[in-house]
Amino acid sequence: MKKFVAALGVAVLLTAGVGAQTKVSLKVGDNLPDRTSGMGLVFDTINSEFKAANPGVDIAVESYPDQPWQEKVKIYVAAKQLPDINKFWSFPGMFMPLIDANLVQALDKPAFDKLGYMPGALESNVYGGKLYGLPLTADGWVIYYNKKLFKDAGVAVPKTYDDLIASVAKFKAKGIIPAVTDGKDAWPLVITWDALTEKVNGDFSRTQAAFDRKAKFTDPDFVKGATLLQGLVKSGFFAEDLMVSDYGASRNLFGQGKAAMYVMGTWEVGLGADKNFSADFLANVDAFKFPTVAGGKGKADDFMAWFGGNIFVNATGKNAATGVKYLEFLAKRWPALAWEKQAGYPAQKVTARPTDTALAKTLLAIGGEAKMTSDGPPSTDRSDAQFKDDIQKAAGELCALIITPEQFCAKIEAAAAKAFARK
Amino acid sequence: MKRLFNNKPVIAALVLPGILVMVFAMIIPIGFSVYYSLTNWAGIGAFKWVGFDNYVEILTSDSTFWRSLTNVAILIVVTVFLQNPVAFALAALLARIKPRWSRFFRTIYFIPAVLSVVVITALWTNIMNPSFGILNKFLSLFSTDPVTTSWLGKPATALGSVIWIIVWQGFGWALLFFYSGLMTVPAELEEAAKIDGAGWWMTYTRVILPYLFPIISAVVVIDVISSLKQMEIIFLSTGGGPGDLTQFTAVYLYQKAFVASQYGYGNGLSILFVIVAVGLTLVVQRLFRTEGEVA
Repeated sequence: MKKFVAALGVAVLLTAGVGAQTKVSLKVGDNLPDRTSGMGLVFDTINSEFKAANPGVDIAVESYPDQPWQEKVKIYVAAKQLPDINKFWSFPGMFMPLIDANLVQALDKPAFDKLGYMPGALESNVYGGKLYGLPLTADGWVIYYNKKLFKDAGVAVPKTYDDLIASVAKFKAKGIIPAVTDGKDAWPLVITWDALTEKVNGDFSRTQAAFDRKAKFTDPDFVKGATLLQGLVKSGFFAEDLMVSDYGASRNLFGQGKAAMYVMGTWEVGLGADKNFSADFLANVDAFKFPTVAGGKGKADDFMAWFGGNIFVNATGKNAATGVKYLEFLAKRWPALAWEKQAGYPAQKVTARPTDTALAKTLLAIGGEAKMTSDGPPSTDRSDAQFKDDIQKAAGELCALIITPEQFCAKIEAAAAKAFARK
Repeated sequence: MKRLFNNKPVIAALVLPGILVMVFAMIIPIGFSVYYSLTNWAGIGAFKWVGFDNYVEILTSDSTFWRSLTNVAILIVVTVFLQNPVAFALAALLARIKPRWSRFFRTIYFIPAVLSVVVITALWTNIMNPSFGILNKFLSLFSTDPVTTSWLGKPATALGSVIWIIVWQGFGWALLFFYSGLMTVPAELEEAAKIDGAGWWMTYTRVILPYLFPIISAVVVIDVISSLKQMEIIFLSTGGGPGDLTQFTAVYLYQKAFVASQYGYGNGLSILFVIVAVGLTLVVQRLFRTEGEVA
């Protein structure tokens, strides 16, 4: 009897040991705290499918809002606890420090070339000739709007900057906030400045030229762009609490039908299917192209677009190989699922479906009609973190009417010169 | 027992845990902070030694740092010279009314002190919302045009608005301290003053306030320290904006280190902040030092 019990004990221990060895626990970190809809739901679906296809793998997800997640990654890096898989951003200022610290697993680009990525998408994650991350979404700058509120106020879809200004009085007469955006974090204000500047100069490459010190941010086209941005604020186009309204607050104001327009990126295609908002809102949400500027060289089909969000594998984690396998699985499932759930505008080509929301169809059309796109990310993300902090602070001061457009451009010029010297 | 506590190894063994905690929780982290403040570390990857460059930049060309210290100073002045007198006057009133009502009002006034800072900030951010907040709705009752002031977003009102939230949250503590102190004032003291012909003003200013000097000095020191530490309400409401008009040093150094990835610079800010905080605390303690302590 004793021998039997001892043998049974050994068998149990061995089995437990074997079980423990084959169970891989993948830790995933992302900026998608809402797992009931949108990208969060898509990721949960992909995680479930991956676990079903790989019984020896378990996935633990950790989610935070945007800014806290960016800060959390830095803390994890310092503590050497970076998750195995990280949803992140491909911008040089954010991604390169991780690559330079040998924290990012290089991927086999030819394996992903066959998966329908848009031109430039994979390249946005190539540094030093190697692919380090997978782009998830194609990001473009548009203006979402509520058709019902436009009808109530008697406003036609704006095609020009002057149309935007003219709509303010009509919306305010009906007690409707004309437009909202995330002013507290300021980066949407910078992207809006980028978009307005291009509508003035008709040349997306001017921004990179200024960064490369072949042009200056104090040149008239940049100053004009800043003047137009401040003009939107002065006219009352944005909500009064613009400077303290964060991403979630501004999105919710629009989704609850309090604001007629929402200045944001195409990653919000999920607005058209977000069950947190009323059926009335879902039936009326749509988008239009960023308006042109009278006398400007930029055309309606010049599309401020880039590939921002990405996902990468921690090269120093013990599950790097499984992480790469996860990315390969995700790359195959992501475009179809993301589009099916209308969760995002994938960086891979998708086919329009009859069941797509009106918003999704519009965004596909805007992307499809684009004759010229920006040659890289917005100004906030073309340099290092210090420059990003400087330009966001300056944009906040511009839109809080603390500094003039000339002073704003002078600050950006000084910050760009310092960033160039730091390279 | 006496022999035990005169035994030096025993004394060392008893004191050692506390010293170790102080060394690992304070001295070593401060040491690391000083070390990184002399570099240009971004928090990830390699860094270069830059000597005192961070300190020179902070002290000579960082207007946000000086503005943040100014805002701390303004908050200290408001809490010491506005909040405290009002709290004292209210405590004096509560000490004189019926105990049942005194208890009721003390509970009401202390509620903000026990609420979560997140709840308080969300509450006042909504109250002060320019479009939907009840503050503007209330003010609109007295105006021909709707009031749409962005209290937290407008340069002219932002600092006052965040200071209001901070004072609203901390008022209960000041009231509690002063009330507790007033309860310890011997009745004979007031009676003796009355017999000598002192009115209520003379009684309070010449008898009760001097008696409560230790309480008042403790409250002032707490006000100074909590003003210096002020972070959560600013971070959750304005983030230091608009521009940097509501920036406080604790928020600024966090943003520089964790948002702008300037760990070296952020550590430099924190070291200077510690120096300012210790210096200010010593000045306040010296100001409130009594003759007995000096002797």
